[in-house]
Amino acid sequence: MSGSLKLLKLINVILEHVYKFLGLTNPIPEVINAFITAAISFAVISVFVMFLVWMERKVSAHMQSRIGPNRVGPFGLLQTLADAIKLTTKENMEPQKRDKIPYFIAPIIAFVATFMGVVVIPLDKGVTIQNLNIGVLYIIAITSFTVIGILTAGWSSNNKFSLIGGFRSAAQIISYEIPLVLSLVPVIMITGTLDLQKIVEYQAHAGYWFVGPQIIGFLVFLTASTAESNRAPFDIPEAESELTGGFHTEYSGIKFAMFFLGEYISIIIGSSVAVSVFLGGWIAPAFMNFLPVPGFFWFVIKVLLVIYLIMAFRWTFPRLRVDQLMDFGWKILIPIAILNIFLTGLWILWFSKGV
Amino acid sequence: MKKIVTYFKDIIVGLVNLILGMSVTIKYFFKKTNTQQYPEEKLPLPDRSRSLIKLIYDQEKEEFNCVACMMCQKACPNNCIKLEGARMPDGKRKMINFKLDFSTCIFCGYCVEACGFDALTFIPEDYENSVYQRGSLLHDEHALKWVRPTVASNPPRELNQSTQVI
Amino acid sequence: MTDLLLSQIDINSNSLTETDEYIVNLGPQHPATHGVLRLVVKLDGEVVKETMPVLGYLHRSIEKICENRTYPQCITYTDRVDYASAMSANLAYAMAAEKLLNIEIPPRAQWLRMIFVELQRIASHLLWLGAFAGDLGAFTPFLYGLRERERVLDLFEMTCGQRLTYNYIRIGGVMIDVLPEFVEKCRLFLDYFFKKVDEYEELLTYNPIFLERTKGVGFITPEEAINWGLAGPSLRGSGVSCDIRKQQPYLFYDQIDFKEEISYGGDCWSRYKVRMNEMRQCVSIIRQCLDHMGPGAVEAKLPPVLKGPNGQEAYSRIESSRGEMGVYLVGNGTPKPWKCKFRCASFNNLSVIDKLTRGWKVADIMAVLGSLDIIIPEVDR
Repeated sequence: MSGSLKLLKLINVILEHVYKFLGLTNPIPEVINAFITAAISFAVISVFVMFLVWMERKVSAHMQSRIGPNRVGPFGLLQTLADAIKLTTKENMEPQKRDKIPYFIAPIIAFVATFMGVVVIPLDKGVTIQNLNIGVLYIIAITSFTVIGILTAGWSSNNKFSLIGGFRSAAQIISYEIPLVLSLVPVIMITGTLDLQKIVEYQAHAGYWFVGPQIIGFLVFLTASTAESNRAPFDIPEAESELTGGFHTEYSGIKFAMFFLGEYISIIIGSSVAVSVFLGGWIAPAFMNFLPVPGFFWFVIKVLLVIYLIMAFRWTFPRLRVDQLMDFGWKILIPIAILNIFLTGLWILWFSKGV
Repeated sequence: MKKIVTYFKDIIVGLVNLILGMSVTIKYFFKKTNTQQYPEEKLPLPDRSRSLIKLIYDQEKEEFNCVACMMCQKACPNNCIKLEGARMPDGKRKMINFKLDFSTCIFCGYCVEACGFDALTFIPEDYENSVYQRGSLLHDEHALKWVRPTVASNPPRELNQSTQVI
Repeated sequence: MTDLLLSQIDINSNSLTETDEYIVNLGPQHPATHGVLRLVVKLDGEVVKETMPVLGYLHRSIEKICENRTYPQCITYTDRVDYASAMSANLAYAMAAEKLLNIEIPPRAQWLRMIFVELQRIASHLLWLGAFAGDLGAFTPFLYGLRERERVLDLFEMTCGQRLTYNYIRIGGVMIDVLPEFVEKCRLFLDYFFKKVDEYEELLTYNPIFLERTKGVGFITPEEAINWGLAGPSLRGSGVSCDIRKQQPYLFYDQIDFKEEISYGGDCWSRYKVRMNEMRQCVSIIRQCLDHMGPGAVEAKLPPVLKGPNGQEAYSRIESSRGEMGVYLVGNGTPKPWKCKFRCASFNNLSVIDKLTRGWKVADIMAVLGSLDIIIPEVDR
């Protein structure tokens, strides 16, 4: 049994004791347990996002031969915390002629929709917040709700820049959903399951990671998930140099923070799925198998590496134009993904016949 | 067929060029940074730096070198120098009032070049001239007073004397 | 009811599928319009129907101020005409004044002027490179560009004491001779910089995203470019030879062996390529200047008060970093010019923006604006 699972168990045990102490019924009611799990995962994810924001700043700074944040806390680690405090305590500026209710709801939708994807991510062997047998489908379905939040934000802000940004985002996310799904299909064909846990276990049994045979799928998935999370070079919905801030031009304070958090959570989810599906999830690399570290550790390391790659994209490449983005999605990613499915099908056919 | 080949060739060439671009940024990621952390590390100013104008005070004669010839006032393109001179009882002209408004000064250096009496100079030490009130930038002869250090004794320079608010 | 509604709609007017045009103000406060340029853009969805630049947000009436300043004092104002390329503006004004006042310049001063103007061209192009890449969404080249620009500014500061508004090139020569170690430091910088240009090219030139954003975008034919009065690298990007350093050599440009960089694409990428190659040419020019430069005086003997001859006029034109820069001076027998007029390349280059962006997407406005290398103080003056 691995360490992280022990941790979760420990939390459960402590909770049980707390309940007993309070004289409540045992076992713990499902609802309360769910709330507590959600709260814990929210806290953990928020801290991880803060770390990611710090990491992004440091990575970008060193790529540009700067130092980056180094004043608040050791290595500037608390800089993001300071920024978060600033954002939450900031005056909430709203345009006078906004559409009030959608304007209020939009960041919540965008944030919650991305955050719900965390549920099925396999952190370690058997450790998932709630394992679903249709995990891949669930993630893709739930994270694409983000676009509703962004579109609502763009519409309700009553600002032309926001509106353009919102529509761009809608077009982008809808067309990049397809290569995203198509790039995952070959793996599902091979493993025969939509359960992320089982996909990782398949890789553990097979002895290879899918990044090898499915390198095309991996690249397509990485590109499409970067586009899904509105990151440069696909950040046309916010496109600073064109639309000032895109869909979140009129948002400030905590509402802006929710968009910001949502973006980073969607990066985490994208790279977690990439790691689980293509990079063997919690499995230790073959040459490091002897190390007595829990699988969770390997999972986080891999996720950070993928995120580093995505950050390197952002700080190297120029931004695509909206029509070129569509071209790229429809004319390059989708045909290649379909070709990949076709080749994988042939491969499966060949091997199943051989056996 | 040819189209298909160029289609795939374009993708591969593009991918190679993307990786080439990434190699530059990732190379710099592992290199030393170029940043100077300003308040802690200050870059030395070159000797010719035009950063702060000072009126030279002769310690032996106990007077400013300035004789109020008005050349600097004439040379100034922005009229930021105002000075008054008077004829002393011994027949010498002497500056009695010198005002330099740093809020309009553009540090072109014409006044220093125009000065024929070695009375004005740039000093390359101090460039942190920002103040909280605009009026604080109007320096008079006390604020501008600067004693040229002698090389042999090398006395401590009194550069950071509080600028007088008028 | 439906019939009534349908009858109100004129089938021929196509109004069911017609879209509304809307107007977006890009600027004067906008992250991409370098400075305070305001672009009123008429859009149909993402497609640009019309772009109208609105000028005057940075107007300081420098030309009028110059009429109330003596000839040497005006130089301090030419620094502010084009702050990213102040040496060129200094040079253009000084040459016009020298023509008006009939002043001979010592050769060493000429060589120094060439060195500094070319160094300034490098600095200006580096700033442009960063701004252009930033407009396209790549922020990293900006910092790489500024890192090397700092080195150039260090050379300037070492020589004349300022980093932005130099007031270095004066009527009758230059302000002061360079320090003895300048030559060596300059050569070191050139060696260092020559390699860096390759790095920028590696980062951008054949990057497929960069190519897509710039190839064919903002296309203009040579004839149209000439008719619109484009100048400098923007015109050379359309394949027109227009380098004044070659066509009407001033200073000692006729003694220097250099190539006029021309690219024939007429699009943003060609204009980019011209500037990148020009940086390499600058390095070669400066190296030759350092070789040719001999000892001597750096300032001509001037009368204490410079008075422009009454009724006489002078016009000088140089190749500034942004294109042709001209200064027109009229004297009236007093120490102050009767008229001082700056012909700035940015103003003409900006005028073509409507032509270049019509029919393209919003994002292309930024690409085109960046590729034209516009600097707002020069447009408004």
